[in-house]
Amino acid sequence: MKKVEKFINSHLHLLRRISQIGSLVLIIAIPFLNKSGINILKGTYYSISIGELDIIDPAIALQMILLTKSILITVLLMMIVPVVLAMILGKVFCSWACPFNFIAELLGKLKKSPSIHSRNPKTFHYWTIFGIILLSMTVFGIPIIVFISMPGQISALIADAIFNGILGIEILLVIVILAIEFLFNRNFWCKYVCPVGATLSLFRIKKTIKVTYEPNKCAKCEGKKDSPCIAVCPLNLNPRLSGAYPYCYNCFECVNTCRKNGGALNISFEKKLN
Amino acid sequence: MLLEWLNKLVSIKDPLRPPGAVSEDEFLLRCTRCRKCVEVCPYDSIKMAHGESGLKMGTPYIEARDMPCYLCDDFPCIEACPTEALSPVESKEEVRMGIVVIDESLCLPYNGFLCRACYERCPIYREAITLKDNLYPVVHEDMCVGCGICVNVCPAETVAISVKSFHGDI
Repeated sequence: MKKVEKFINSHLHLLRRISQIGSLVLIIAIPFLNKSGINILKGTYYSISIGELDIIDPAIALQMILLTKSILITVLLMMIVPVVLAMILGKVFCSWACPFNFIAELLGKLKKSPSIHSRNPKTFHYWTIFGIILLSMTVFGIPIIVFISMPGQISALIADAIFNGILGIEILLVIVILAIEFLFNRNFWCKYVCPVGATLSLFRIKKTIKVTYEPNKCAKCEGKKDSPCIAVCPLNLNPRLSGAYPYCYNCFECVNTCRKNGGALNISFEKKLN
Repeated sequence: MLLEWLNKLVSIKDPLRPPGAVSEDEFLLRCTRCRKCVEVCPYDSIKMAHGESGLKMGTPYIEARDMPCYLCDDFPCIEACPTEALSPVESKEEVRMGIVVIDESLCLPYNGFLCRACYERCPIYREAITLKDNLYPVVHEDMCVGCGICVNVCPAETVAISVKSFHGDI
């Protein structure tokens, strides 16, 4: 067990990239399998079936509950896997699996990193945006989340392109968001807007895995303008200050970088050290 | 209501939904756009609507003229639906996807030609479509399930039979 833990800890970046590529391969493989009559895997990131196990995106489930004002037991059961995962590991779906974040992250790398903020954005902003989405959805009775769920849209687009050879024009929505991110604000969608990530954040508890910071171990980069841990963060957060959560999606890039620079940042289930 | 107004703007006005679909308004709220019904359909009858269909984007529909619903015994599409947007039906007779309408000005028998294509192929045989005077097909709305097989087989130059999707509450 210790060996496994050590391996994971020392190969965080590599493992994450493998996971992200695996997730992309999965959504490309599903329509190919279905086309040849194999239905063990089916669905998209809105709702996916692995054999008998049905999983639903909790954001879509939340939308359905709010809009139809009814709760289906089957839907609640389908939420168990993602909710438990979010309770233990935080919103790792975003950083380790979401195809949109993967593309956005790679595009972000083409640009030089933005100016480093010394402080993290207010938690209030995050919940306000999510609140506006939920409120407007409920008031107008329109299923907004299915339209702006980027992992769902991308997987459905890929599936239909492979299955029926049709590329839907909704790809423009994905392209526009990526373009805005590229031109103006790196990863603003994943950081502030995405309702899928925000729903997963609802299930964060005290024991959820998190990045911890020990100031006494942090010496080498203190005072430097571009701290490696902040510079490497895809969401441009500062892991050394409080308030990185609920924004942080536990990609652990900062921890990975810090290992080479003193090791003040760590991963822990326990209460935050700073 | 905003939802109704937005629905008027789109290209697919009254899509024929897969069997078991709840009423259209409820369907738009319940459907997760997960594509599972599209993927499991053995005849590839079910298609996915795209951006040009506005709020119906991502939802499944059937174009009867291309490929109708053959009403599988086990309804894999209903089985695959995670949110009961397609809710279970007891038998194929219970399905209410839509109702077909015959345009007598185009229908061959009404114009002096012998044709029994729709009558012969109707899966609710001798109940949903019967022949008046052994010649003229007549649709019985209470029995028609709206699968669209008759629409698919109609040999008339301009298709004489069309299916109207069912929009009432079931």
